[in-house]
Formats: sequence, structure tokens, C-alpha cells
Amino acid sequence: MTADKSAPVSGSILVVGGGISGLTTALEAAEVGYEVVLVEKKPYLGGRVAQLNQYFPKLCPPSCGLEINFRRIKDNPRIKVLTLAEVEKVEGAAGDYEATIRINPRYVNEKCTCCGACAAACQTEVVNEFNFGMNRTKGAYLPHPMAFPARYVISPQIVGTEDGQRCQEACVYGAVELDMQPRTVNLKVGAVVWATGWEPYDATKIDNLGFGRYPNIITNMMMERLAAPSGPTGGKILRPSDDKAPASVAFVQCAGSRDENHLPYCSYICCMASLKQATYIRAQYPDAKIYIFYIDLRTPGYRYEKFYKKVKEDKNIFFIKGKVAEVSEAADQGVTVTAENAVTGEKIHQTVDMVVLATGMQPTAVNAPLPADLKVSPDGFLINDFDKGGMFAAGCANKPLDVVSTNQNSTGMALKAIQTLVKR
Amino acid sequence: MAERLLVDPDVEFIEEVTRYGGGDLKKCFQCATCSVACPISPDNRPFPRKEMIAASWGLKDKLLADGDIWLCHNCGDCSTLCPRGAKPGDVLAALRIMAIRAYAKPKLLADWVNDKSKLPILLAIPAVLFIVVGLITGLLDFTPEGDEIVHAKFFSSWLVDIIMIPTFFFAAGVFALGLKKFISDMHAQCLADGRTTKTDVNIKDVAQAFVRVVISILKHEKFNECTENRDRATAHMMVLFGFIGLFIVTSIFFVVLYVFQIHGPYSQLNPVKWLANIAGVSLVIGSALMIKNRLAKKDQVSTYADWFLIGLALMLGVTGMLTEMTRLGGMAGTSYFLYFVHLMFVWALFCYVPFSKLAHLVYRTAALTYTEWSRRK
Repeated sequence: MTADKSAPVSGSILVVGGGISGLTTALEAAEVGYEVVLVEKKPYLGGRVAQLNQYFPKLCPPSCGLEINFRRIKDNPRIKVLTLAEVEKVEGAAGDYEATIRINPRYVNEKCTCCGACAAACQTEVVNEFNFGMNRTKGAYLPHPMAFPARYVISPQIVGTEDGQRCQEACVYGAVELDMQPRTVNLKVGAVVWATGWEPYDATKIDNLGFGRYPNIITNMMMERLAAPSGPTGGKILRPSDDKAPASVAFVQCAGSRDENHLPYCSYICCMASLKQATYIRAQYPDAKIYIFYIDLRTPGYRYEKFYKKVKEDKNIFFIKGKVAEVSEAADQGVTVTAENAVTGEKIHQTVDMVVLATGMQPTAVNAPLPADLKVSPDGFLINDFDKGGMFAAGCANKPLDVVSTNQNSTGMALKAIQTLVKR
Repeated sequence: MAERLLVDPDVEFIEEVTRYGGGDLKKCFQCATCSVACPISPDNRPFPRKEMIAASWGLKDKLLADGDIWLCHNCGDCSTLCPRGAKPGDVLAALRIMAIRAYAKPKLLADWVNDKSKLPILLAIPAVLFIVVGLITGLLDFTPEGDEIVHAKFFSSWLVDIIMIPTFFFAAGVFALGLKKFISDMHAQCLADGRTTKTDVNIKDVAQAFVRVVISILKHEKFNECTENRDRATAHMMVLFGFIGLFIVTSIFFVVLYVFQIHGPYSQLNPVKWLANIAGVSLVIGSALMIKNRLAKKDQVSTYADWFLIGLALMLGVTGMLTEMTRLGGMAGTSYFLYFVHLMFVWALFCYVPFSKLAHLVYRTAALTYTEWSRRK
């Protein structure tokens, strides 16, 4: 290096978002010796991956991978984790940023042992967001069994009520602190990695696919929770209206994706997700019939293609080339989906017990613009400006990705952040 | 399943579809949303997904013979739900114009009717024809006498009829030839791809199907199944009933003139006159509404063929009504001039129908009747 072009360098990296992308970036940077602050707005780390039942194509539960990552974080003194924390502002230039972070109260301090006495004492129930509202949880709750940090959360809904008092009285460790206040911290950091992830596209916006109108039409992420052992049904796939074991399920691919009325881009993961979910159903119900309605099936790469071929061999899984464009109510709380089979040129009216909409991913930043000087695509994805440097987008904040690619991409962004710090 | 199709694309045809308003055709990725979105598409070989791929591939013969392009009432539901903005509704509208052009002979006239730059010639033809025939026969009198304004004194009813009647039969002949070919092409295609298996053509069946279709057309049943552009039904109904009313009035006038030797103009108290006035107003308001709807609808393509037809209908109504109003107002010169212009439009309507978008009246009715007859599900 001939010239010192850099601003005064602060030695740490701010990683925004504690999903698989942020975890990876934080760990990769910290494990080669850099200071990292990992900020997550939810009370737990793990993000969308924590909500999945199994990964494709290996069909293993994501909990083991997350567990390893959490262990690495615990063992690494260079990573500081802030949960329930939101970035309010990032100002400055590459190498010298000042970040303002608001930390919302958890009302539970580090003395919590996860004994559950507060939840037992609490009478109020709140909607379980982790399970997409398919069940309710106590006002004092552990977000999910694998939650890290392993600490209960008290819903602001019960703070200031008798229930709040009951929780406090029930806790023998003095972990419930109802007077906890939000606080703001200012950090000086040298680089920022935005790993703000994605949200499932709001299926109620897809008018013709009936989500929200018929209870037995669910989204693919809801299916993950239904199939997950920690989910609302304890891992039994049951249809929402009457807890019946579905004898037939239709998957509607590209539900909102590749559609200029909704998300104009391909969300990348939904084909593999539906193929994977078909195996969930087949494992639980050997006679169930599964209909997958698609425009094109996108299973890129050798391993995904192999997975698709294997699923295709199943005689109870039917693939129909044609997008579902209409749903209607059928007898016994079933749903009839209508599509034209573009191969035979016949319209199909398939009645099934349950419908799964393969909804796509929308960058989180589209609904909550990030408080920093960033380039954003019209669809809300962050565009990496490597010439400017300093701030980088990793994982699904940047583009729709599967977990494997997210890990690769996030590792790369860790390197980009490190380069910002050491470039002199 | 494994039939082989060797595609021989007609590139010129694809470009033509684009020119006639189907410019977004190539955005289609064959998801088939349109076939389901369409409220009137059948279950057996639904449209318009198959038309979209055939058009992309330039399969001209297949599309011109395809009755399904006529089953479409261009309500736009498919274009609204289309995830790609390929506008299947506009593509089918373009295909219909091309089908009309293909079946109408002579080809030159079909080219002219659909070419903006030829409009002055098309309007000059009746003007010249009237003057030449009028002067040769002496049936055109530029100095009509009498205090009462009687249009027949200026432009003799004989002159009207010796020009209009042959023109009418010319149009009917063009239609007959086009229709004959269209129906046989359509039938061959439907048998080939399984839209029907019915081969015994029995007049009673066809007549019954025709009656059912005509009733459904008059009630605008298909229009009303549409969700996106349902309001179009009102405008279309006004124009259609306006035309029907005026056709009835003209027929009565014709019979009364030749059988009873009674000449116009009729008194405003005459019920035939009431019908004429109501029909004329309906035509003017209906076509003005159509213009308003089309101008307001930014996401739907409006082509020259659309404007030609609506313009013709509007001008026909406007000149007709103004002729009558100026006659009642005693503005002789203006009224005679307007009458001349009005007859120009009447002639243009008769002569150019088989080549213009108005030919949908014949082809759509034929395709609907055929589909009804073939009992396609």
C-alpha cells in the first residue's frame, strides 16, 4: 500500500441481524480476531432458519447447526450480542461509523434459568408470532425451545398488569424486572454488515389464492411450523380448521413470486421447499396424495436436481404444469384449486384437504427502510456498492438465497468488512 | 403425448400481432393463469394460454382458424392477473383483427380499412360515388325546391337505394365467402384437437344453438361474467341496440316507401320516429361512452381498428341526429350537407363492415354458435 486513504479506523464490525447470515458473518469475522457487535431485533438469534423443520436437501433439522453456532458465539469473547435491539441510525464513512442502537426491554435479566415458573403463573395468552399465529403462548414465554440467549421474555402486553406482578412474584431468582426501560447505545464501528434477512410475502395480498379467506390454505412457512416438533401441533401435520390429518394436499408454486403484481422476481427457495415439504407429508401419511402446481420447477445444481428426481419417483406425488389462479371452497372444508394443465391443455379442478401456498421472500428492509445511506433496488433488496465500501449486505437482504448460499455469501461479506478495517 | 410438432414460425405474422396491439406477447411465460382467470374459458382446451404460445411461435394458420379467439369478449380479467404483463386480452384482440383481414376478400380493401393513412380515400369513395352516380342519373338535385326540407328532394331515395342495396349485397357476399371458409377451418381444427367430436351437421341443432346464442348476445350474458371491465357492457348494449333500432326503422321506411308509396320525413309523433330518435341517441351516447372508457383505460391497448369502428358508429349517430335537428330547425343548406355526409358514413359502414372490427358481429356469432352446437365443456 502506497498511500493511507482510510479514515481513522475503528476496530469493530457491526452486524445487523442475527439470522443464519448475520451469525455466519459475525462468527467468521470474530474467529479471525475482529471485534463484532451482533444486533438482533427479536429476543432470540437464529432468524428464519430457527423456524424451519428441516433443511433441504439433507432433511436434517436446523437445530443442530444453530446449536453449533450458538456454542461458537458463547465461546468467543469478541462477539457481543444485543437482542431486542434495533439500529436507529448509522452515520459516518467507511472505517468510521457511529451507530445508534435502541435496546427494547425484555423485562427478564440474565439471572433467568428458564425454569418456566413465570409462564406457569401468567394467565394472559398472546399470539405466538414464532408459529405465525397458529397458536398462542403465555405472556411470559421462551420464544422457542432452542432460543438463544436462553432466557424468557415478558410481553409488553402484560407489563403493568396483575399478570406482570404474578410473573415477578413467581420468579425465585429475581430475574423478572418489570421496570426495565428501553435504552439507547452509541457504538463506534469501522464496518457494517446488514444481514436483515427476509419476510414471507404477505399471502393475503394474493387475492385470487384465498389465503385468509379459507382456513385450510396455509403458507409454506406455516407448514414448516406444523411439521416442526416444537410447532403448534407438536410436529403432526394437521389442517387448521379441524385438526384432521390431510388425505390430500396441493402446493401452489410461485404464490406471489415471478409476478409483477406482487414480487417480480423468483424467490429461489420455494420449489425446493415444496419438494421438501412433500416429503414431510409423505413421511407422516403414506397414502396422502400430493399435487404440486408449478410454472417451472427450479432445482438448481446437482444435489437439488437429484432431490427433485427422487421426489418425482413417488407415485403419490403429482406434478402439474400450470399455475393455480383460482381457489374455491369445497365440501367438508376442503379447497378446490383450479389450473390449466399446460401439457394436456385441460383445466383441472382439484379438490384437496389442504393447500400450501409456496410464498416467496421479501427483504425485511422493504417494509422497514434501513436508517443508513444504502442503495436499495426497487424490490427492497440492498445493492452492494463495493467502490464505496464500508457497509455491505449479506444473505437475503441482498437477494433471495438458500441457506448454503447464504453462508457462502455471508462469509464473503465478513471478509469485505475486515478489508474495510485493515485497508491502510 | 409424444407427438412431434415441427414449428415453422411465420415471423412476419408475429410482428403483425405486435403491430395490432399485442406488443407484450413475448413476455408470456406460459403459466396459464389467464386460462383460469378468464370467466368464460371452457375446461376443454381453454383459452388464451394456447393462443399465446401459438402466437409466440407464429402459427398463423392455427390461430386464424381458432374459434376461441372469438369466444373472448376482451374483458381484460386475464391481463389483470397476468404475472408478466403479457396482456393476453390485447393479443387476442390483435388476432381477431388479423383473422378478419385474412377471411375478407378483396385483400386490398382489407389492407386499406386497417391503414390509418388510407382513411381519406375510404371516405372519398362514397362521396365521389354519390356525386358521379347522382349526376349521371340526375337523382342528385343541388337546388331542391319547396319550403319544407325534404332530404329526398336533394338526394333521391332512388339514388340511395341504387347505391346502398348493391353495397349491402356486396358486404353480404364478402361475409358469406369468409364465413364459409372460417367455419370449415374452425370445424377441422376442433375435430383435430378434440374440442369436439360432433360431425353430424343437422340444421335443427344449428338453428337452436343460434337462437340460444342470439338471446345470450342480446342480454350481454358473457359481458356480465366479466369482473374487470363490466361497465363496458352498458356502452356496448347501447350501440348494439342503437344499430338494431335503426335497422328496424330503415326496413320499415323501405317497405312503406315501396309498398305504400309514402315518403318521409315522418312526423315526430309517429312511433317509428320515436324508435329512430331513441336508437340514434342510444348510438351516440353508447359510442361516446366507449371512447370515454377506452381513454380512461390506460393498461389496455386501443388500436386504429378500435378507433375506426367507434369513430364510424359515433359519426353515423352524430350526423344522423344533426341532419334531423337542422331539418327541424329549418337550416336547409346545412341539413342537406349533413345528410350527404351521413349517407357517406352509412355507405362506409355497409361497405367496410366485412373488413373492419365490426365484422366481429358475424365471426363471433358464428364461433359462439359453433361452440354452443358442439357442446364443448
